[in-house]
Amino acid sequence: MSAMTIEKPWQRWAIRIGVFLAMLVLTVPGLWVMLTAFRPNIEVLARPAIWIPQNWTLDNFARLFGLSASQQGLPVAQYFINSLVISLTSTLVAIVIGMAGGYAFARFSFRGKGPMFLAFMLSRTVPGVALSLPLFMLWARLGIIDTSFGLILVYMAINIPFTIWLTDGFFRQIPIDLSEAAQIDGCTRWQAFWKIEFPLARSGLASAAIFAFLTSWNEYALASQLTRTTASKTMPVGLMDFTAQFTVDWTGMSAMAVLIIIPALVLTFIVQKHLIAGLTFGGVK
Amino acid sequence: MTTTTEPYSRPTTSEGITAFFRSQKAIPYLLLLPAILVILSVVLVPLLLSFWTSFTNYNLTKPDTLYNFIGLRNYQRLMGNAEFWWAFGRTFLFITIALNLEMLLGLGLALLVNKITWGQRTLRTIMMFPMMFSPILVGFQFKYIFNDSIGLVNNALFDLGLISQPIPWLVDGTLANFSIIFAEIWMSTSIFAILLLAGLMALPREPIEAAKVDGCNSWQVFRHITLPFLMPFVYIAMTIRSLDVARAYDMVRIMTNGGPAGRTELLWTLMTRTGYQNSQMGMANAMGYVSIILSIVFTFYFYRKLTAARTFMGGAQ
Amino acid sequence: MTSKIFARALLASCAFAGVAGGALAQEFDYGSFPDYTLRVKLIGGTQYEKLYTRIPEWEALTGAKVEIVSSKNHFELDREIKQDIAAGQINWCVGSNHTSFAPQYGSLYIDLAEHIPAEELAKYVQGTLEASRVDGRLVQLPRVTDVSNLYYRRDLYEDAAKQEAYKAEFGTDLAPPKTYDEFKQQVIFFADPPNLYGTAFAGKDEGMSGRFMEILRANGGDMFDENWNPIFNSPEGVAALQWFVDIYEAGAVPAGTVNYTWDDIGQAFAAGQLALDLDWPGFAGMYSDPAASTVAEHLGFAVAPVGTSGKSGAWSGSHSFSVTEACDNKEAAVSFAVFLTNDESELMEAQAGNLPTRTATFDQAAQWFVENDKPALAEMFTVFQQSLAEARTPPLVPEWIEVSNVLWPQLQAAIVGEKTAQEALDQAADEARIILEDAGRL
Repeated sequence: MSAMTIEKPWQRWAIRIGVFLAMLVLTVPGLWVMLTAFRPNIEVLARPAIWIPQNWTLDNFARLFGLSASQQGLPVAQYFINSLVISLTSTLVAIVIGMAGGYAFARFSFRGKGPMFLAFMLSRTVPGVALSLPLFMLWARLGIIDTSFGLILVYMAINIPFTIWLTDGFFRQIPIDLSEAAQIDGCTRWQAFWKIEFPLARSGLASAAIFAFLTSWNEYALASQLTRTTASKTMPVGLMDFTAQFTVDWTGMSAMAVLIIIPALVLTFIVQKHLIAGLTFGGVK
Repeated sequence: MTTTTEPYSRPTTSEGITAFFRSQKAIPYLLLLPAILVILSVVLVPLLLSFWTSFTNYNLTKPDTLYNFIGLRNYQRLMGNAEFWWAFGRTFLFITIALNLEMLLGLGLALLVNKITWGQRTLRTIMMFPMMFSPILVGFQFKYIFNDSIGLVNNALFDLGLISQPIPWLVDGTLANFSIIFAEIWMSTSIFAILLLAGLMALPREPIEAAKVDGCNSWQVFRHITLPFLMPFVYIAMTIRSLDVARAYDMVRIMTNGGPAGRTELLWTLMTRTGYQNSQMGMANAMGYVSIILSIVFTFYFYRKLTAARTFMGGAQ
Repeated sequence: MTSKIFARALLASCAFAGVAGGALAQEFDYGSFPDYTLRVKLIGGTQYEKLYTRIPEWEALTGAKVEIVSSKNHFELDREIKQDIAAGQINWCVGSNHTSFAPQYGSLYIDLAEHIPAEELAKYVQGTLEASRVDGRLVQLPRVTDVSNLYYRRDLYEDAAKQEAYKAEFGTDLAPPKTYDEFKQQVIFFADPPNLYGTAFAGKDEGMSGRFMEILRANGGDMFDENWNPIFNSPEGVAALQWFVDIYEAGAVPAGTVNYTWDDIGQAFAAGQLALDLDWPGFAGMYSDPAASTVAEHLGFAVAPVGTSGKSGAWSGSHSFSVTEACDNKEAAVSFAVFLTNDESELMEAQAGNLPTRTATFDQAAQWFVENDKPALAEMFTVFQQSLAEARTPPLVPEWIEVSNVLWPQLQAAIVGEKTAQEALDQAADEARIILEDAGRL
């Protein structure tokens, strides 16, 4: 990929500086919070500001986990497990269900197809906060409030429409002849799907999965109402609880923030190749 | 593909539902059934329930009031509620400003990064950094950074000698709204940039070179070739973003929660306060309905544009 | 000290003997609940967390485990508990409570008088115990009593240059404020942002409403008349609100104070950013601890100022523990609540500067301050006791928090200059009237 126009040197430098500044703005706020997690509170509160950290410390993490004497620990491990279980399960199920739906839209023509597709999309636009009030009432009556199951169900519903959209785009890109050829060779349609179409759509599915995972992992508005105790509270809810407990413990909150962001970072970097591919080719056509 | 539109279905004399579900015609419906069931139970049923409660004076702590039908009173009260209309207008403005600025900045960023020939992969990775942040984290992060006494911004301004009084970023009416829009843009510009960058990478080379030969300058190339080609990508990005623009609630909730004195009140914060803090669930659900309509209008608008753009591009569907 | 050791020995013998015999009738039987997990919701924040380090002791004593389901500041905790009521999800046993909030919860909590022997209840401060009743039911066991007091930085008041400047400007000697007018005058005088502010106040939730009520009462006004008509938009109320508006406009408080609650103020004062702080006794321990506070060396304290009526508002209330009706092991829950308010627990609270709720603790604490060379705290403790004499709670009715929730956003609007004090209070009074009408009081 070469530059399509030949720039003058000053233009090239202007572009580089522009990119550098943009990257700075995109990264500094997040990195500042991560840095804060390793500094003592007294340094953060200091006036005038101390820019270069004088002391590095893991105290903030120790306090979170209850390893220091002065403060009860938070059930961070439990929040973490809840988040992981809820996000992974809902992602997996949403991908399977969404893939079936996307395949139906890509490969079949049927009555009500267009409106149905639109309806799926519109179901996703309902703001989480607007949904949280009636879901709270309903889940309370059904007795699935404060359970992982209740939250998994909700996250499935949130992730299915977008998965349908992405996988629909992917399946439509795979030439239909491939599957037909396989069926002529004696495969059933089911076998043809698994042998031909599924492997080709894999990177699309991976990107749909990472999106679904990030949405569930990061969601707060619904989780804050539908979880009540450590039985189902997730990391973002845990962070908010923390801010309600110690309104000014910036370093403690930063430590919690680091714990939330790390799994998302690791996972995204592992599959980032797919993520770009998924966004580029899935949604486009 | 010689058959009309359904390559795999064979003509059947469908009589009765059983016959239908055994037929090939049923396959797409069966494939969609789980998705439909989940959406019905998690989205539609709750929406029907909240539709009902918006006609009652349901109070969170008084369960019996759920059956107290009061007709349109909640909606009537909303019509005359200045606080609500302020929040409505502010939300509309918030979405419009945020989406448009994100689009412009995302386009600029994509164009810049596209010009860089070395280390582009790394740049793309860095660009995706904010996308991984939970809105709640973004809120916390900017609440910290804009904090008037220990925030990064004020500290920097002090030490550079630019101010002598702390700037109350999250308190002053204009600045607080600026701050939440800044945070929203920080959180979501990346999505636009990534999608538009993908579009730029798929841009065909020939028309541009032909235009250059014909003596067009860079701006003309951009205006008449690059931009029209990018438009479908812009609409895709707009549609994706308008689908989940309400997640800004999480961020605002933690940064200002609508305050102080309702200066940053959005429909979403007003709604949760009414429902959970003042326990007026019926009224909150009526507000919820108005906010749903707002989201649907935005998404529907971009979706229509997107479909039109797809047809223009000669894509499928 | 000896009595404390004796109590400890008694406790230990209880634990080992398993069943408390007649000889130990005076001592509360904490029981034994092996393998039981007690789920609790506790108030969080700097002032309150220290007591929870005693929880392992209770666990060891009874064999039960404690799971802290939730720990938040009381405003958030209140919201959460209301949602629990709506969801029908009362799957926890002990909750932190407060005299101002307790009337709202209806039959959520049990009458503790039916579960705790009278001789044990007799050990609590009786007036506080009375204020803990709702409709005659003892729904909470008081833990600490709060009453407003003034903390100040002695180094600022003893600074010769400041004294001179103050005298030149106002014609009086610089001394801790006796009235709210002086308070205002001094915080504006001291303010030198961003490094020093006059003071800070809780600008939202009941913290805001309560402080307003305090000054309103000090000015001779009140929230409601005897027929429950809202009268806080009286001239006294306008003057009280104007007090906040004036110090905010003068830049004598951090602009962010409208988003502050107790911990924010506490941190700011401990970091030396405030000259004066009208606050709760519970912060005394932290402020006087050199490890946590830069002002420990020169911490001063005084009784709260008086208003135009010549009286102090003396906003007061007690933090407490309650046991839910839905609890599956009320005995364990009651044992936990008593343990966290027994003589030893109360001594621990008192050592941090809090006003204890057990009669015996006052003398013990005074003695402890002397023995441990904490003359400042000892002196402070007597000041706190003085203010307790005038203490007044908000109206102990369920509607207080609801009214507070419509009041504080209006107070905030006036403080940041969206409305005039009169406009803000008139609107709040209208909204409060609707609440009281709906509740059947009007």
